Amino acid sequence: MVENYRHLYVIIEHEDGKFLPVSLEMLGEARRLLDNFNKKYSTKEKVVAVVLGHNIKNVSKQLIEYGADTVIFSDNPELKNVRNTIYTKVISQIAQDNKTLAEVELEYASEIKRPRYMFFAADSVGRHLSSTVLAELESGLASDINKLVVEDIELSHQQKTAGKKETYAKTLEMYRPDFSGFLWTTILCLDNRNPAFKRDYHPQACSIIPGVFEPIKSDSSRQGKIIEFVPTIDEQDLKVKILSRKIIESEVDFDTPRTIVSFGRGIKDEPEQNIKIIEKLAKVLNAEIGITLPISKKPFVVSSALDSKYMIPDRVIGTSGHKTSPLLYIAVGVSGAMQHVWGMKDSGFVVAINPDEEAPIRNECNIFIKGRMEDVIPLLIEEIKKQMQIVEA
Amino acid sequence: MALNVAVIIKLEPDFSEGNVSYNPDGTLNRAETKSTLGPHSAIAAQAAFYAKVMHDAKVSIGTMGPPIADLALQQAQQISDADELHLYSDRLFAGADTLATAEVLKTGIEKMQGKMDIVFSGHRASDGETGQTGPQTAWKLGFTFLGNVISYELNLETRIIRAKRMISLQGFPDVIEEVEAPLPVFISIDPNFKSNFNTVSQRLAFQKYQKTATEKAKNYKEYLKIFNAKELGVDETLVGLPGSPTIVYKVERVPKSTATRQAEVVNGSDSLQLQKVVGRMKEALSAMVIK
Repeated sequence: MVENYRHLYVIIEHEDGKFLPVSLEMLGEARRLLDNFNKKYSTKEKVVAVVLGHNIKNVSKQLIEYGADTVIFSDNPELKNVRNTIYTKVISQIAQDNKTLAEVELEYASEIKRPRYMFFAADSVGRHLSSTVLAELESGLASDINKLVVEDIELSHQQKTAGKKETYAKTLEMYRPDFSGFLWTTILCLDNRNPAFKRDYHPQACSIIPGVFEPIKSDSSRQGKIIEFVPTIDEQDLKVKILSRKIIESEVDFDTPRTIVSFGRGIKDEPEQNIKIIEKLAKVLNAEIGITLPISKKPFVVSSALDSKYMIPDRVIGTSGHKTSPLLYIAVGVSGAMQHVWGMKDSGFVVAINPDEEAPIRNECNIFIKGRMEDVIPLLIEEIKKQMQIVEA
Repeated sequence: MALNVAVIIKLEPDFSEGNVSYNPDGTLNRAETKSTLGPHSAIAAQAAFYAKVMHDAKVSIGTMGPPIADLALQQAQQISDADELHLYSDRLFAGADTLATAEVLKTGIEKMQGKMDIVFSGHRASDGETGQTGPQTAWKLGFTFLGNVISYELNLETRIIRAKRMISLQGFPDVIEEVEAPLPVFISIDPNFKSNFNTVSQRLAFQKYQKTATEKAKNYKEYLKIFNAKELGVDETLVGLPGSPTIVYKVERVPKSTATRQAEVVNGSDSLQLQKVVGRMKEALSAMVIK
């Protein structure tokens, strides 16, 4: 059977040759997915790492150590920093260049037209890059994915199949948690087989949440193919000039403090008062304050001082923010949505304060204090003041 | 020289307390939740208003949505003093993914009065949260895309924009990148965007346009044009479900994770028990000392 789409392309992000953890995480998941795939379908499809930059020839070998079968790199001074237009053009060229596609696996050389799947990071760079690359390739993209499965899917869809039952083989099921953290939506990118508007949609692409997947253990004995792609660079694609890049220090520090106190929508009865109580608790424990994602959407009206200090994305703990692992984590009015749990589950000791004993956070804590924060925290503060001088010193 | 700017916005669930409603299982109750101009769309409208105050720009706003999305257009007009409101509304657009939505928005922007110099979009929608529609619209328009913009300045003589972008990457400190690009550009606005009005004349202009914005928003229907697919002139195979490569295959509850810790449940009003809790906390913290 002729198949025009093969392999899984992973778009690697790095800063001056130093990989972002998410790049290696994506390679790890790609490796696991394709190992199963090749076994199941008796194929020889490859994990292909795509990396752009300047003076990056040496990084290609490392990508093979982390699970890539093939590395396609483009090395050019114009690619030193990520600029959306030129990066989009070069990645799209790589995804459609017959010669390069053929080189990945000679057995498929005569029929391959595009990658089957494509992974990007769901971060400041990959989120936009994936959007523009898939707009250029005119195919489908799912964002913020945390689970991937390949299946042969049988379905009938009013538009896609004109209501007829059809099998879509080797379909990537892309799972994304919704903003609440309680719903999981599976997104598929499917060809239109409806005769009224037939169209192929490949690659099937997604952006992947950093920190979700495990990288594989680096193995320096792994072998692979390294291919240089020399891009066609048009002056028109170089209109953006980077004038400067300045590193900024975050005012929120989740790495040094031994204790983090975080709060969620449970502050709702008296948001202003409750944040102030939480501030006091954090103060006696010398703790940093974190929040859940819904709080960063400012669901409550509080004084502008508290709003601008606490209800900000920089304080979010979870998949949309920081991953933390303090010695002590106190979750106040936090229900325990999957995204948040990801950001705190490596903490040493976890205390939850919540009136609802059924809240999922109960499965993630060592001590569950049942009660309203308004009542519990003042008592807790008194007790801490009595007992904790030694630790402070 | 005249400056034309556009904003694309979205009507979204209102997540503010009192307006948002959750089902007992923690999911959003869409039927009971009110709708409003999305918070990131509001910031994009502020960014357009900045161009209005600084350069007397003409502001146009476009949205794709049901007829009631005119509410979001009115709210955005109140913020930006827009002269032109576009609502792209047709059953054919329903079920669109980001690529099919971008096709409608692109076509709409090209139908606005004057050639656009800057198009603004929000960072992402608070319900969909993909952040893909902005950059995909930019790509279809053929505009230079600048993402995560926190501030910008324009030179109307050279037609060059200077913008600061916030880049946050896992495992690296945040970076502010300053870039320069010739117009036209498409900007997706970072939630940290700030307008800086430094001089008295800028602040006076700010007040003046705020007043006219309020007047216009009262009579927003005079500025509103509603387009269906035919009036917009889109290719019907590129919008709505036919134009969407992706479909939602299934929605399920995230399975409850197996307990990673064995929680001891403590009564929060029992001070003796709380005394023990603090003792345990103290132990946990002293682990560091031993290390």
